[in-house]
Amino acid sequence: MKREELFDIATNWFTGRGWKPFPFQTQTWTAFLQGKNGLLNAPTGSGKTYALWIPVILDYIKSNPNYKNKHKPGLKAIWITPLRALSTEIKQAAERVADDLETGLKVGVRTGDTSASERSKQKNKMPDLLITTPESMQLMLASKGYESVFKTCGAIIIDEWHELLGTKRGVQVELALSRLKHINPQLRIWGISATIGNLKQALEVLLGTKSPALQNSVMIRAHINKKINVISVIPEKMDTYPWRGHMGLHLVDEVANIIRKSKTTLIFCNTRSQCELWFQALLTKYPEFAGELAMHHGSIARETRQWVEQAIRDEQLRAVVCTSSLDLGVDFAPVETVVQIGGPKGVARFLQRAGRSGHQPGQESNIYFLATHAIELVEASALRRAVKETVVEDRVPYLNSWDVLIQYLVTLAVSDGFYPTDVFKEIQDTFCYQGITAAEWQFCLNFITRGSQSLQAYDEYKKVEIEADGKFKVNSKTTALRHRMQIGTIVGDSVMNVKFLGGGYIGSIEEWFVSKLSPGDIFIFAGRKLELIRIRNMEVIVRMANPGVKAVHASWMGGRLTLSSQMSELIREELYDANTESMSRELRSLEPMFTRQRKESIVPTDNQFLIETFKTREGYHAIFYPFEGRYVHEALASVMAYRISLLSPITFSLAYNDYGFELLSDKEIDMQQVLDNNLFTPLHLHTDLQQSLNATEMARRKFRDIAVIAGLVFTGYPGKNVKTKHLQSSSQLIFEVFRDYEPNNLLFQQAYRETFEHQLEEGRLILALERIQNQEVVWKQCEKPTPFSFPIITDRLRERLSSETLAERIKKMTANYMK
Amino acid sequence: MTLEIEINRNTFVLHNSGALYWTEKRMLLISDAHLGKVSHFRKYGAAIPEAVINKNFIKLDEVVNYFDPESIYFLGDLFHSELNNEWYLFQQWVEKTNIPIILIAGNHDIINPAKYCELNIQITNEWKLNGILLTHYPEIREGFFNLCGHVHPAIKLRGAGRQSLKLPCFFQSENQMILPAFGEFTGTYVIEPKEGDTVYGITKDTVLPVIITF
Repeated sequence: MKREELFDIATNWFTGRGWKPFPFQTQTWTAFLQGKNGLLNAPTGSGKTYALWIPVILDYIKSNPNYKNKHKPGLKAIWITPLRALSTEIKQAAERVADDLETGLKVGVRTGDTSASERSKQKNKMPDLLITTPESMQLMLASKGYESVFKTCGAIIIDEWHELLGTKRGVQVELALSRLKHINPQLRIWGISATIGNLKQALEVLLGTKSPALQNSVMIRAHINKKINVISVIPEKMDTYPWRGHMGLHLVDEVANIIRKSKTTLIFCNTRSQCELWFQALLTKYPEFAGELAMHHGSIARETRQWVEQAIRDEQLRAVVCTSSLDLGVDFAPVETVVQIGGPKGVARFLQRAGRSGHQPGQESNIYFLATHAIELVEASALRRAVKETVVEDRVPYLNSWDVLIQYLVTLAVSDGFYPTDVFKEIQDTFCYQGITAAEWQFCLNFITRGSQSLQAYDEYKKVEIEADGKFKVNSKTTALRHRMQIGTIVGDSVMNVKFLGGGYIGSIEEWFVSKLSPGDIFIFAGRKLELIRIRNMEVIVRMANPGVKAVHASWMGGRLTLSSQMSELIREELYDANTESMSRELRSLEPMFTRQRKESIVPTDNQFLIETFKTREGYHAIFYPFEGRYVHEALASVMAYRISLLSPITFSLAYNDYGFELLSDKEIDMQQVLDNNLFTPLHLHTDLQQSLNATEMARRKFRDIAVIAGLVFTGYPGKNVKTKHLQSSSQLIFEVFRDYEPNNLLFQQAYRETFEHQLEEGRLILALERIQNQEVVWKQCEKPTPFSFPIITDRLRERLSSETLAERIKKMTANYMK
Repeated sequence: MTLEIEINRNTFVLHNSGALYWTEKRMLLISDAHLGKVSHFRKYGAAIPEAVINKNFIKLDEVVNYFDPESIYFLGDLFHSELNNEWYLFQQWVEKTNIPIILIAGNHDIINPAKYCELNIQITNEWKLNGILLTHYPEIREGFFNLCGHVHPAIKLRGAGRQSLKLPCFFQSENQMILPAFGEFTGTYVIEPKEGDTVYGITKDTVLPVIITF
């Protein structure tokens, strides 16, 4: 069949539904049918699903002209989505086309939610089109005979690639693709991505750096420009604004007004605890919202979340308080308005959230911005500019993730086994492992077969065996089972399931939060007041508490966001405007705060770098304001603390936020010496970073998911308790033994590398220091904390750096248990 | 490296390894060694560094050489799990050391007692001597001072400038002393002292009394 005829089939189908294909859709169809790979840059809700399902089906029609009468068996295409919640929607879209065109193609879903019986049915007879997640994809590679299943598969589509890129799940996808490409060299690979700064690189990561697939590829952009209106919610009187905390709750009336004005409103919060707080606050003040207001975040039971999503579509809800859990995927047509509480920290995220509203063609997106403390209002006007100029961040892909490679190798060993020479060739084509050396490869092989590089006589390490013909294979059933369970484990803080005494799963909360509670304590979670009865087997048993009693809100450590470099730059520029006449509405409203700041200190201009020092009951504070975002400040704080500590023995506690950082000490810092010694130099930055204790602390945290992914920590299956008797250990403890006994282990070193590349963002750090070098340092000795310093010095999450000996420090410290 | 204290008119020496020495009885007390833990993990495919295995035996040699005791009492959790090859290392160590050993069994000690018998190690649930009661689990008993383990105690210190620090410790209350875990790769549990408790923190080279404020 000619392409024109095929296109007619598709266009007629569109016309039949009263639609007209967009140019980007037909461009994608053409490229796909030409056998090309590619990346489609299109936002959610633009029709991207049909841009790719259509050509998959047309391709089937093309090669099977007799398609209406004779069905050709076997898997034809895979659609990978990062969120299993999206699979239903994608399946419906595929079925609509496949059924209307009478192709007889069957669509199936395979995710963590798919029942065992359904999975085994699929094993016998694969659906024609399969929708799955990166984890389930790995699991399929871990089952016997996977090659014959994938042999017939002609296309694989990675949806929301921008979400996966820059994560280890993205690396999992890279590896799976490297295998599939070799099973079927005709495989077409397509990604779909929202707008990010490094789209070209996104395509390279998807297809493989040195791969022939990349040679034969295209990039298609949807170019759908929708007008986005950013509206700041500013209170009448500025002094009602807290300098920090309170989560902006004093603006609850304004939010209620916004909700009343539109059909459905999504209220985005940055953290789950903020989400809980706002939900509660709205209901307490406006009980009439009950039944029309819902909450949605990642720790709430899946069934509840699905119910909320459906209710939005069915227009049953006035408003939903949510977190990034609703950033992705499905269209919520009824949503007219979006409220962002607190700085979204990144332009891409903000745009995505704004795009959640006004889905009807021609409609504008309205997003209200609600600052949670005064300085955050600067972010609002910076964001407006970002939207106007479409400044968007990059997603930085991972390089050399040994943990994911080790997991993948065991996966292949679990199913049909592998020969190292073949797999080595395949992975060298990927972006992540393009630079792998023979020694590094050997490390990974040794790790899975011998548990380290040397082998002692009494050692009983057991995982992957090398068979007589050189095949790497897992032969133990229990090892295989444990590995399969590990693949799907979501990496994050150790979580515990919350259940009612009589059964009934409510959701999960982090262990550290639970550990602060004792039986009888009341806490608020999933919008309910719950009384803790007991904790047993990783389960938190609760009952409903009396609604009148006092309670604490559940809180989460994870999900603290940092400003992107683009955002920080915009904020700096915005703030410098505070010294000029051209102030935005937001800045003007901050005038009282600026006045107060100027009383003791200054509002810096673009050629000034501000340092403030003052003394409080807590000790001597030194605050530095680079305005570079939390992560960069975390690194800068530790480098500065380290460099100062070289001048004389001193111990610091470090705090930072998106605007600056603080070094707090029990003795005064000689700031003149800091300036005289040019401690802001970018020279020797890398060594100084490594020397600072802080890097160890960060690496320790990074090591947590490395240890889980590489199979060093035994986790049960989510929601199910698998007995791992005597095999429980924290990744922290494992980190320590590696540090003390095997510091050259690549996994241990990876934790540091990730810290430097992904967390400390060394490149950004150097740029920041170079900028500071060219600025005039303004050191203000203040009498008391300034408005700028307040959010930083009250931060309770702190790191420590010391050049005093342990014994010296212990002498000065006490075990203080005053509550 | 050590610190001498008095309990019930007996002299005890706290060692920074976590071991405790009863001078009058020339008795060495060690709790929660968790031998075999690394091998257990490795057997199940978690590649914990093998060097940790040797470290435990090096530490054991160090304290034995330092105190030259007449007997060694393990206050439970001597071996982490079921039998594995580390048992043979332990066996070699017992034969080489050639000092009477008594094991107060803990929750992890699930190896067949016959195996200990072969090494002439006596197993019991508790031991009483001169008003001192040795157990694995902490226990309060009328008329006795209890020496025990199980908890892997650690103490959290705080200082000016919002510093904090976690140290494994000996934890002494009115009629009880909980020993820190001796084994490497064992982890700790932070306990909160009450008025009247005494805490001795251990570091790589010292034992230090901790000042507790309320």
